[in-house]
Order: sequence, then structure tokens, then C-alpha cells
Amino acid sequence: MVSEAMVSEAETVNENEEKKLKFGLFLGCNITFNRPDVEQAMRKIFPALGVELDDLAGQSCCPTWGTMPSIDDVGWCAVAARNLCLGEEKGIDLMTACNTCYASLNEARHKMLKNPEIMNGVNEILAKIGKKYEGKAKCRHVAWVLYKDIGLEKIRESIKYTLDGLTIAVQPGCHFLWPSEVYPDKEKDPFNPVVLRELCEALGAEAPYYTKLIDCCGIGALRSTDPEKSFALAKDKLECIKEELDADLIVAGCSSCTIQFDDVQEKLRKEGKINFSIPVLHYVQLLAICMGFDPQQVAGVCVTPRDEIIKRILEGGKR
Amino acid sequence: MELAEEGVPPVINLTEVAEREKEEFEEKVSKLIIEFGAENLMACMQCGACASICPLARTGFEWYNKKLIKAILVGMREELLDDMTPWACVACNRCTEICPRNVTPFEVMLAMRRLMVEDFALPTLTIEGLRSLYEHGHAVYMTGREARKKVGLPEKPPTTDSDEKALQELKTILKNTKLAELGLIPMG
Repeated sequence: MVSEAMVSEAETVNENEEKKLKFGLFLGCNITFNRPDVEQAMRKIFPALGVELDDLAGQSCCPTWGTMPSIDDVGWCAVAARNLCLGEEKGIDLMTACNTCYASLNEARHKMLKNPEIMNGVNEILAKIGKKYEGKAKCRHVAWVLYKDIGLEKIRESIKYTLDGLTIAVQPGCHFLWPSEVYPDKEKDPFNPVVLRELCEALGAEAPYYTKLIDCCGIGALRSTDPEKSFALAKDKLECIKEELDADLIVAGCSSCTIQFDDVQEKLRKEGKINFSIPVLHYVQLLAICMGFDPQQVAGVCVTPRDEIIKRILEGGKR
Repeated sequence: MELAEEGVPPVINLTEVAEREKEEFEEKVSKLIIEFGAENLMACMQCGACASICPLARTGFEWYNKKLIKAILVGMREELLDDMTPWACVACNRCTEICPRNVTPFEVMLAMRRLMVEDFALPTLTIEGLRSLYEHGHAVYMTGREARKKVGLPEKPPTTDSDEKALQELKTILKNTKLAELGLIPMG
């Protein structure tokens, strides 16, 4: 076991230098192929907020749970470490809008820093492609970068449209929160998260607590193993959002949760299991719309219609 | 058969034999689960905190965290291999966060998958995901690029999808992992 001091020593590559914020944009699979509007939103908002993005050319899958993590630790960490190296070689951290990527990369890093056997095994493999992971680069979450590095004040100043009068149901997503031990940024109470709520409030909306706020959306392995159980879980949460908040909008911190609530609502509506429709956006998309970027580009891919809410934001919320 | 005095066969205490085999068996399953990453398995006191917040328990899967751990501790094996619950685990780690004994129940789920993989007891979709990771560098991969074009992005993302050298690097890595030893997917 390595002491915590070593972990914190290796903590960061960005914080030492007082220079312009720069991150490697880690895309993952679902954003790249399923929801590229989330990618486009990140490519618009961050440079506008003074953050430089690097493409991390040659990045791959994080790897997600059903792949290498289900085989063994060293293989999992080796694939993750190659991705982390792409940032480390440039002296920057990675940044993602996908909670699975956030968790897989940071859990892998945590395992490598904690267990020298795993780290050595990984670096033996990486040596075959001329790489070495030092444990410095980590993966940051877009919500935390916006909250902590950029700050609510700058976000408030950057928007052209406000969300006054709108109620948002936030969906932080599981891998934004747990296991808190492995993440570079942590909520004060990981079972009562506030970061995403405050980020939404900074845009002028209400983002109240509701009883199923931290519930799982049901995507991923659950949905691929048993879709009916997955949809039932999502339905419970959607009904809670409707009943307790009558929300105008669901805003997720995770691309997978965004996909799930967007897809599932349409399916449940067609089956007559729900009779409402609440548009779903990733936070980076909502911010991009509020900053005045083209909704077709930053929020143009969905199943549950977004047109009305976007119209309302653009018409009703001009500052 | 060896005969005891006066042609009477020795008494074999079947209960004892069964007990002994059971003990060996128990040790074997728990030991494997520990080897596969669930280092703190034995600390579980079956308090049920993990089950109380597990999405699998809530949606009615058979072998959710607490019950799976119990089954492993009593040495079950075949019954577990037939059930796909571990492959439904969303890896949310609520259980890890809440466990008062640092058992990391998620690591038990993951170790169970690793044990199942050795018996080829894994879903087809998982094999497809691994194959896709190896072939494209993406577990989720789509050839259609209409969505990327629609939002004004280049069809090719800056990933292994557009970078042959990077893809070869990833393949080299994967060929040097346990995945290659298992032979689950063609790795030419």
C-alpha cells in the first residue's frame, strides 16, 4: 500500500502553474457516436470561458465496465493509463462529460497509485508502446471544472439567456459521486449532492431537491442485461420528477443518463406508461444554449423533443 | 475394497467426507474471489447496507451484492455461474460508499464476473463489446456518422477511429493482457 501522501503528491499537473486553464477533451464512446451534440457543446463553451482544449489525439474507450474491468485489474488499468498518458505527456489533466469515463479512469488511477504491483504491471505493458504512466494526470469532470475552476460568477457573466421561472430536475448520476474515495473532486455529502443544482441555479433556474435525486438512471449493464428492469427504474424516477417538481427540464451531468432519460421517455410514452414529456439536456448543452450557441449544433440530437423548451429559453430569457 | 477385520467393510462417514469437501470448496471460491480483486471479502458481516441501496436489489435481480457475498461465503458456485446478475451491475458503487466494513461489494461483483469469464459464462453483448474495443478502440462503436455531421463535427473523431498508429498501440496493449490468454475474441 502506498500512503495517502503519495497519492496527493501525484495529485495534479495543472495546479502548480498559474497559466491558462487547459484540459485534454476526453470524449469516450457514447458522446462521440451517439450524442456528438454534447461534444460540440464542450467545444463551444470551454474556449469561450477561457479554457483551452486539447484533442488527445488517438484516445480510445476509457475502458468501460463490461470490457477490461471485467477481465482483470492490470488490463483495465493499462488501457486507462494509455489514455491518461495522452494528457500526462502534455502536462494536462483530462476532462470528460461522461460519468463512466470519469469513474473508470479515476478508479484505475486510484488502483495504480494504491498498488505498486498493478502500476508496475501496467508500465511493463506500456513500455511495449514506448509509454510510461507516472500517476500524475487524472480525469476531471466538466461539472467540477465549471464549478471550481471557472466558478459560478464567471458562468453567470457569460450567459446571454437566463432560465428565470424554469424548474430543473438535476441528475448528477452515480459515477459523479461514488466511490468518493477515488475522485479528484468530492461533494461534501456524496448522498446529498449540490454541485449540479448550484450550476443550474447560476443560470437563473430553480433546481430543488427531490426524493429520487440520487437514484440510478438504469442505463449501461442493467439496460443491456434486462431492458424491462432498466426502464422500470427510469420510470420510477421520471414519475417522481413529474410529481414532486413538475420540472420543465431534466439536466444531467452525465451523457449516459442524458441518453437514458431521453430514450426511455419516448418508449414509455409509446407504450402508454407515461403521459408526459420532459426535455433532457446535459448541463454543458444547457449552458451552451444560454451562452447563445446554435441549439442545432449543441443540442441537436434527441428523441424527446427539445424545441419548445429551447424556444422558451431563447424568447423568454434574454438578459 | 479393502476389508477390515472378519470381512467387514470399513465404515466411511459420508457426512465427514461431505464436510471436508465442502470446506475445501468454500475456500476455493472465496479464495478466487479475493484473488480477483475483492480483497476484503471476509470482512462482510451481512448487515445489508449494500442491498438497501442497490439498483439490482431494487429491480429484482436474484444475486444482488449482499446475497452474492453470502453465497460465495458458503461456497456456492454452479448456481452463481448460471445467473447473469453480475453482468447487470451498473458499477454505481453506492455499496462501496456505504459499506461500514470496507468490503467494496462492487469489487465482489466484478470478481464474480472475472470468475465467470474463465468459465465462458458471459453475455454475448460483452464479447461483442470486447471485440469492438479491440477492432475499433471503442466498446460502443457506430459506423453511421449522420449525427456528427448534423451538429457540424468532422465525421472522424480524434480517437483511435481516425488514428491507425494509436489503434495499433491499443491492440498491442490488449494482446499483452489476460484478455489474450482467455481467448475470448480473435486478436489477429
